[in-house]
Amino acid sequence: MLGAGLILFLAALQGATELFPVSSLGHAVVVPPLLHINFNESDPSFVPVLTVLHLGTAGALLILYWREWVAIVRGFVRAALRGRITDPDERLAMMLVVGTIPTAVVGFFFLTPLTSLFGHPRASAAFLIVNAGILLAAEGFRRRDERAHAVRTPGDVRHASGDPSYAGVEGLSLRAALVVGACQIAALFPGISRSGVTMAAGLMAGLRHQEAARFAFLLATPIILAAGLVEVPQLGPRGPGAGLAVGAAALAGVAAYLSARFLLRYLRFGRLDPFAYYCAALGTAGLILLR
Amino acid sequence: MRANPPLAVALVVLAVVFAGFSVFYFTTKTSLLAGDAAIHYKHAIVFAVLAVLALVAANFARRGTASD
Repeated sequence: MLGAGLILFLAALQGATELFPVSSLGHAVVVPPLLHINFNESDPSFVPVLTVLHLGTAGALLILYWREWVAIVRGFVRAALRGRITDPDERLAMMLVVGTIPTAVVGFFFLTPLTSLFGHPRASAAFLIVNAGILLAAEGFRRRDERAHAVRTPGDVRHASGDPSYAGVEGLSLRAALVVGACQIAALFPGISRSGVTMAAGLMAGLRHQEAARFAFLLATPIILAAGLVEVPQLGPRGPGAGLAVGAAALAGVAAYLSARFLLRYLRFGRLDPFAYYCAALGTAGLILLR
Repeated sequence: MRANPPLAVALVVLAVVFAGFSVFYFTTKTSLLAGDAAIHYKHAIVFAVLAVLALVAANFARRGTASD
C-alpha cells in the first residue's frame, strides 16, 4: 500500500508535469528512483492513485476552459445533428474530435504493452532526451520560419504574442488538427510529453505559441479525463481512503491549474527551449545514474 | 468537402460494425483485443462511441460541408 506522503508527492509531481511539455509519465518513472524513493508500480493501489490524480488534472483543465467546453459540447451536438459546420465553436469541436480519435483508439488498445515495454527508468530517460529533441526541432523550425517571414522582435530572441503571420486554433484546418492530435500517440512512450509533441506539432502547423498550448490543453482534456474514468472501477478497497484521494486529486488539480496558467502566460513571449534543456538534463542524469 | 453519398453509406456500415463489436463486448466473455477472457465493458463503451462518431461522420459525408 502506498503511503500518504508518497501519494501526495506523486500528486504534486503529476499535476505539475502533466501540462508542462516535460512528460509526467517520464517523471513518474525517472524521478522517484533518482530521489531514491522506492515504490512498486505493480502495487495494487498504484493504478487507483493514478486514476485519482488524472481526474484531478482533468478537473483543473475543465475549470480552466469551462466556458469553452460548454460552447464546444453545444457546438459538437449542433454540427453532428446538422451535418455541417457553421461557426467557430462547431469547428473547434470537430477539430478536437478528429484530433482525439487516433490517440484514444491507439492508447486504449496499446497503452499497457507500450508502458510495460518502455516503462523502464533508463528507457524513459532516453525518451526524455528524444522529447527535448522534438521541442528544439519545433522551435528551430519556427525560428527559421519567422526569419523567412521577416518577423523580428527585439534581439530576435522572443516571438511576438500577436504575430499575424501565425494563426489561432480556429485557423487550423481539420486535416492539420488530425495530424496534430495524432502526434499525441508518441506520448504513449513514457518520456515523450503529450503536451510537448502537440505544441511542437501545433507550431509546425503555424499556430502561435500560446494557441499551440491552448490547443494542446483542449486536446489533452478528453484523453486525461478518459484515462481517469476508465480506471474508476479500480477504485474501491484497494485505492486510497476517501479523504486522501480527494486531497491528492485536489493537489494534482491545483498544481496542474497553476502550471497551465503559468505556461499560457509564459508562452505569450517565451519559447519551449527551456523545457527542452530541462528534459535533456533530466534524461541524461537518468541514463548516467540509473541502472 | 462535397457531399459524398457512397462514403456516407460506407461510414454507416462501419458504424453498424462498431455497434456489433460493442454488443459483442457487452455480452460475451472474450480475449479479443483484450488481455483475458472476460466481459470487457470498457471495450464495449469505446466501440459504442466509435459507432456514434462514424454516424456523425456519415451525416457530414451525406450533406457535405463547406469546411475542409
